[in-house]
Amino acid sequence: MDKISVRQICFLFLAMMPLTKLILYPATVSYWSANDLLLSAALNFVAEGAILALLLLLTKKTEKTFFDLLRSAFGKIGAKIVYGIFALYFAFSALLPVLEHKGFVLQILYENVPSILSFVPLFGVTFFACIKGFKTIGRTADLAMPIFLLSFLGLLFLSVMQADYSALLPIAAAPPKRLLQGSLFGLPWYGDSLCVLFFLGHFRNEKHTAKKILFSFGGGAVATLLFLATFYGIYADIAVKQQNALAHISKYTTAYTSLGRIDLFFVFALTLVSIFYLCVPLQLSVHCVRKIFDDCNPVFPSAALNLAFLVLVIVFNYSYLKIQTLYTQRLWWIYLIFCYALPALSLFLLLFRRKDKTLLRFEQTEETENKNAAERAPSLLQKKMNVSPKRAQKSPSVPKNNERGAS
Amino acid sequence: MNKFWTRVFLLATAFLLLLFFSNDFGLIDIQKTSIVTAIGIDTSEQEGKIDVTAQIAIPSAGGNSSAGNVTIPAVSTIGEAIAEFNRKTGWYPTLVHCRLVILSETCADNDVFGFLDYFLRSEFVEDSCLVAACRGRADELLAAQTPVGELTSSAITKVLSSEAQKTGLVCVTNLRDFAKGYFSVSESGYLPVLSIKQEAESSGPDSSSSPVFACDKSGPIEKNETTVRRAAPAAETGFSAQPARTRNNFDRLRAPSFFFSPGIQYLPFRRWRPNRNPLPVSTASQSQNGPSEQASSDKKADIFDAAQTLLFYRGRRVEILTEEETLAFNLADTATDFAYGDVSVVENGAKVTYNLKIKISKKSQKLTFPNGKPVFTFTIRAHANVNDADQAFDVQKIARTSIVPPQVLRAAEAKLQTQLSNILQKIQQTNCDLFEMKIKLKRFYPKRYQSLQNSIFSDVQIKYDIKFDTMH
Repeated sequence: MDKISVRQICFLFLAMMPLTKLILYPATVSYWSANDLLLSAALNFVAEGAILALLLLLTKKTEKTFFDLLRSAFGKIGAKIVYGIFALYFAFSALLPVLEHKGFVLQILYENVPSILSFVPLFGVTFFACIKGFKTIGRTADLAMPIFLLSFLGLLFLSVMQADYSALLPIAAAPPKRLLQGSLFGLPWYGDSLCVLFFLGHFRNEKHTAKKILFSFGGGAVATLLFLATFYGIYADIAVKQQNALAHISKYTTAYTSLGRIDLFFVFALTLVSIFYLCVPLQLSVHCVRKIFDDCNPVFPSAALNLAFLVLVIVFNYSYLKIQTLYTQRLWWIYLIFCYALPALSLFLLLFRRKDKTLLRFEQTEETENKNAAERAPSLLQKKMNVSPKRAQKSPSVPKNNERGAS
Repeated sequence: MNKFWTRVFLLATAFLLLLFFSNDFGLIDIQKTSIVTAIGIDTSEQEGKIDVTAQIAIPSAGGNSSAGNVTIPAVSTIGEAIAEFNRKTGWYPTLVHCRLVILSETCADNDVFGFLDYFLRSEFVEDSCLVAACRGRADELLAAQTPVGELTSSAITKVLSSEAQKTGLVCVTNLRDFAKGYFSVSESGYLPVLSIKQEAESSGPDSSSSPVFACDKSGPIEKNETTVRRAAPAAETGFSAQPARTRNNFDRLRAPSFFFSPGIQYLPFRRWRPNRNPLPVSTASQSQNGPSEQASSDKKADIFDAAQTLLFYRGRRVEILTEEETLAFNLADTATDFAYGDVSVVENGAKVTYNLKIKISKKSQKLTFPNGKPVFTFTIRAHANVNDADQAFDVQKIARTSIVPPQVLRAAEAKLQTQLSNILQKIQQTNCDLFEMKIKLKRFYPKRYQSLQNSIFSDVQIKYDIKFDTMH
């Protein structure tokens, strides 16, 4: 089974979650909420933190996977249907960040805007990540943490001195409607806590797990808010114009006159981490598809999904603005349902504990049958090969669990 | 072994793909690339059109880089000029290294963001690039010859460097700051005014002639077709000294630069500046220009001055700050923390001018409403010591050079206060929110903003809390 550790989930929230919000989100939220962008963002983080807390409560109550919980509640077919819907959602939610990163990479990392071919290798990375499952998410989170810490602090160090934080005043001056629009239309950049629902049963619930994950989420949220505050402090009324904020926030340091844009090292490093985080929704989508098809070989769904994304990126090569408008201003309710409503409703799956127990009994029966079979196996071997029972027990053909059962 | 070679093959393929996707194939041949280091914008003779001059550094594989100016006359937009530039010259202009945008004074009569918005839109022009206004025409300024033979744009960016800002010599503005002011509630901004202050005529190595100073120069240039010329040698560009035309418009805006205060009699607080008489530098050593320029025996070296500051309201120029006012503004508001200034006092019936080295230890401006009325307070704390004086003092006095006589300190305080008063008068007359009073009002007193936003400059009471002390 795909395993991910609590530490890796913590790093995912602390080091990778903020990055997707540092490219176009700052300008977008500035457009709606102006100097109150922090309030809009904080509203999203609080709502998401609450959902994360509920999901962590769920992990305390059960160690089953989300699929098993659904199966116990709605049966196998029902669970597969729900997973199918989530597979579609994850694929849907991955499109906007992929297009966003495409624009960022082509505009910032190259001197002239190159052809889309330069972005194509990304799908090799995502394909590989999709095949490998949750393990790669955890490992990239481990790798991302030191890179993020060094680069993010480096960027902030270079930019904080240039920011005039009084630009964030007056607080709550924007009309409530604009604040709410800032929050709702920013939803496509949120919904990270939904991952935990699918990590359910894939990580061991240790002591203080909930505290650790919530603390890491809070750390990621604070890092994002600090970035947003610095961004608005630097650009103020022209913040709406500053797309690709990650690459522009630190370019006013006077040291560049002699050193050049050393901040680009940090920008490149953070882009790399961000690209890895881009794989997560695609990996979750493949995970859901595999569950539907009874843990099929991941190569086929991964190939299909990445090929579809390659086609979509080519088709929407010049349509980012339309896609963003569609996602943010028309389809924000989809994020509201999948990232907030459904995870909250998943708590009700605990009500089906009776069924859960039935399932448990069913599994126990299966285990007992296996045990009996294992007990029978040595005697059969003994008969067939005419060897002592001790030697038969050491035979490699006997499974380990049966060995334990026999003893 | 087969497995090993398969891995080698895969790694080699990955490496080659990396090269492929690095977009090296997408780059334009360096021989066809022109690196634009500065853009100058002038109003065209055709109404509603502009002339755009690009100063370009042309990289060469042989290492003999050259530089030149290309002017595209009578275009509607900057974007059109860039496209025209490519079409007519065959060079592909790269704006990534454009660090300077110069607007001529006639451009500043209209909303300058009609031109500058191109640079805001472009992802390839950094909005950290410097923006300046200039006397006369921008294309002439970019064609000036620098004393040490570097690119004109490079010499100008040194004049407008952050180091110059820190010493109060000039009010440096970049595109971001200028745009922030324009799009804020204050709708105001400022730009340093570049001018070719003097022209030092120097000769080649054999010549023994000393520098001859001329006044500002400018002159008509034919703009019937794309003009391509070398930047460095002014003599070759067909310039003639025409001082009157370019200076008049700015002089019209210029305020009196000295004052008298009751009590202490003192003379203008003159800015310290580098030696105005440049050394007769030989321009034959200019490595960036072609050999044809180097062969010329008589060269003219230009010195750039940006001591004055042009004020803008709603994108149009409205006033100009004199050198003293610029220094006072820098001391009170900007990143200047170290400056030199002259203060004259009357001692024993004789006028004595002290040159002070001033270190600003604290500066702030605060808008408050103590009695329901707006009060704007300047707080400045500075330490000074005597750098020089125009009289011969005894050795003991020279030894105690760090001790500034109290009357000199008071004179410096009064001088700074008077200059700030002059600036505030200009602000009242023009609505240029140089000290961001409207922004402060909106940020810190949003409830009063609606009622005071149009009358803040007339209603506000100014308080000065300026203290100079001896630097110990």
